[in-house]
Amino acid sequence: MNQTLLSFALRLHASKRYRDTKKFIRDILNNSNNPYKKYIDITIIFLIMSSVSILVYEVKHPVPEWIDIYDIYFVSFVFLIEYLLRLWVYNDVTEPVVNAYYDARFLGKEFSAFAIFKKGLKEKLRYMLTPSALIDLLAIFPAYRPVRVLRIFVLFRVLKLLRYTKSINQFTQVLSNKKFELLTLLFLLIFVVMTAGIALYVMEEKQNPNIDSLFDAFYWALVTISTVGYGDIAPVTAEGRSISVLVIVAGIAMISFATSVIVSAFSEKLSELKENRIIEQINKSKSFLLICGYGQMTKMFLREYASAYENHIILEKSIERMEQARRDGYDAINEDASRYETLKKFNTVLCNITLLCLTSNDVENIYITLNAKSISKRIKVVARVNDGTIASKFIHAGADHILMPHTVANSMIHTAITQPVMYKAIHAMLMGKSVARIDEIRAYGCKGIIGKSIESLAFKRAKVLLMGIQRDKTFIFNPAPTELVHSRDILVVMGRKISLDYFKSLYEEERD
Amino acid sequence: MVAYRILLFGYGNHGKFIAKGLIEDGFEVQVVVDNQQHCQEAVEDGFNDSLEIDITKDEALKALHPENYAKLVCVMENEHLNVFLTLSLRSLFKECYILSISDSIHTTKKLQMAGADKVIDMYEVSAHKIHNILNRPVATRLLEEFVTRKNGIGFREYVIPENSFLHGLMTDDIDFSRFGLLLVGMIDEELGEHFTFITAGINHKLDSGDTIVCIGEKKYLDDFGDTVQKRKIGNLGRKK
Repeated sequence: MNQTLLSFALRLHASKRYRDTKKFIRDILNNSNNPYKKYIDITIIFLIMSSVSILVYEVKHPVPEWIDIYDIYFVSFVFLIEYLLRLWVYNDVTEPVVNAYYDARFLGKEFSAFAIFKKGLKEKLRYMLTPSALIDLLAIFPAYRPVRVLRIFVLFRVLKLLRYTKSINQFTQVLSNKKFELLTLLFLLIFVVMTAGIALYVMEEKQNPNIDSLFDAFYWALVTISTVGYGDIAPVTAEGRSISVLVIVAGIAMISFATSVIVSAFSEKLSELKENRIIEQINKSKSFLLICGYGQMTKMFLREYASAYENHIILEKSIERMEQARRDGYDAINEDASRYETLKKFNTVLCNITLLCLTSNDVENIYITLNAKSISKRIKVVARVNDGTIASKFIHAGADHILMPHTVANSMIHTAITQPVMYKAIHAMLMGKSVARIDEIRAYGCKGIIGKSIESLAFKRAKVLLMGIQRDKTFIFNPAPTELVHSRDILVVMGRKISLDYFKSLYEEERD
Repeated sequence: MVAYRILLFGYGNHGKFIAKGLIEDGFEVQVVVDNQQHCQEAVEDGFNDSLEIDITKDEALKALHPENYAKLVCVMENEHLNVFLTLSLRSLFKECYILSISDSIHTTKKLQMAGADKVIDMYEVSAHKIHNILNRPVATRLLEEFVTRKNGIGFREYVIPENSFLHGLMTDDIDFSRFGLLLVGMIDEELGEHFTFITAGINHKLDSGDTIVCIGEKKYLDDFGDTVQKRKIGNLGRKK
């Protein structure tokens, strides 16, 4: 038995295909950043909704047989598969067996595969007893219509929505944070209902024809304390009415207490929920900007270009500034970008993330740069450097681009003093004004130019000025007319946007 | 007024850089500061005649005789003081050319209202640069290198002198690449102060007094400075 289990575990553990499949299924079922998860969620929600609708419709109308087959067999089968897959990916049974085997062999100890295997199975059993797994299990059973009471199974299908509906999920999460307060309230409620119920039963059992049993008295107490008051059972004696007064007062107090507990739970968690929602939203986009700090630089950048960058989010560690950003109409979260956990929340695997470190503190910017690069090299970092003497440290930290506001401004002042005419030209170019737009044409994106000589390209026709070619790490200024364009070249050009677009279109068409 | 004399107020982050650059370009710079530490730093950097004055006093400003300088550059560290200085200078010296730096997005407007002829807004320039980095990283880096002349390539402006070979030629008829340069644009004196980029597609007639801006390596820019003075240069300037 031991040997069979061990060889089975070893074989599974050695199979890359098995591990990859399990990882893929775990990810698609549990990772909200997985791009395919939403399709699974939508399918399950559709199955639940259709199953419930069929049962509701069937109450008064006959349904065709194929709908019954769909509901009883198909939906149940899908739910069964889902349940089994969740159970499978919950934990790994084989890995602990293999690890324990190697450890035992190393130490020369006796090894029992069955004992380790049992531990893994116990873990699975623990999962099976969790509320969400129980709901999943019970939701598999179709609501057996001929037996009325079995229709209750449809409820579990509705409850299954909890797993797939984020807002309901968040609601239960928020309430679970106030578990202590709500449990206290529940015990108090039970105590008051029992006390009032017993008292009324003792006082009115003989006089009140509507109270036949203790259950009737409890029912009356609950209906009264909840301030619903159906009126089907009402006290008839002075003692009974006195109890009613006390129960009503206690009910009002308890409802107020419950409301305040729920409201405070939400107000405490509201900001976190909002931030999670913002992060989830942005993680759905293919590329986005993360802007660190909401200072003057960020304000100016967003004032000028917020509309050009639809997907952006501000990370600001000061609450006041974060709130200011929100008041200004931007998506902002109160997080410190230099923390590993903060940047880890973003989907660095599937999204193209550009991080703008725009805080006024160089040390902080360098730390954020290192933090981002330690999480993923794919994150593009543009870092602000206030002290030009430490720019090399930013390069060393992995910043892809460096922004030195003082150096840029100083160069501009210098030019404005020394060559005022040229200042206008440079200012226009730096601002990217229409006729002075300096742009780059990547040869691989405009394949028609590859292999052609500079003199044969229609720069003049498109009214584009070729300034040079960036080839690997060399810039060839004003290349010779006979120079050929290579596939990895970047042509640095100046011209109006329409000129550049026209030039590109000439060679894109040619390629086609 | 001497065209190469600059009165520089402030010797902080900006002042130091600007003063050094201006000296390298052959300008005469008078540094004025409002505290001893900056004054000492300026003296240590070779600006021996640096002055420490109370710039809030009109008498102290008048004593500097700003009217004898081509440009007044206000780059004080304290933005409030910088605005006050700009306002004082404008009210005292109506004709002077005042250039100020804005270190805050709210200060630019105030400096303009105070009377500065030109305001460099550090944040505005930086915001555009971020946008350019995100969209055209290579071109942006190269442009910055051109502006700061880091890679030996830079911009230069030339005023076409009388009797220059350029006088009377059309911009389309001259191949500047034969001089190792590219023509970026020009100011046609007849049309006023407006700078026209070559990429606007207008074939301009060049006249003496017009200003052209070229880009190229320093050696070629220097050579063209001599060439532009020549009356004739054979057929070199004309395209075949």
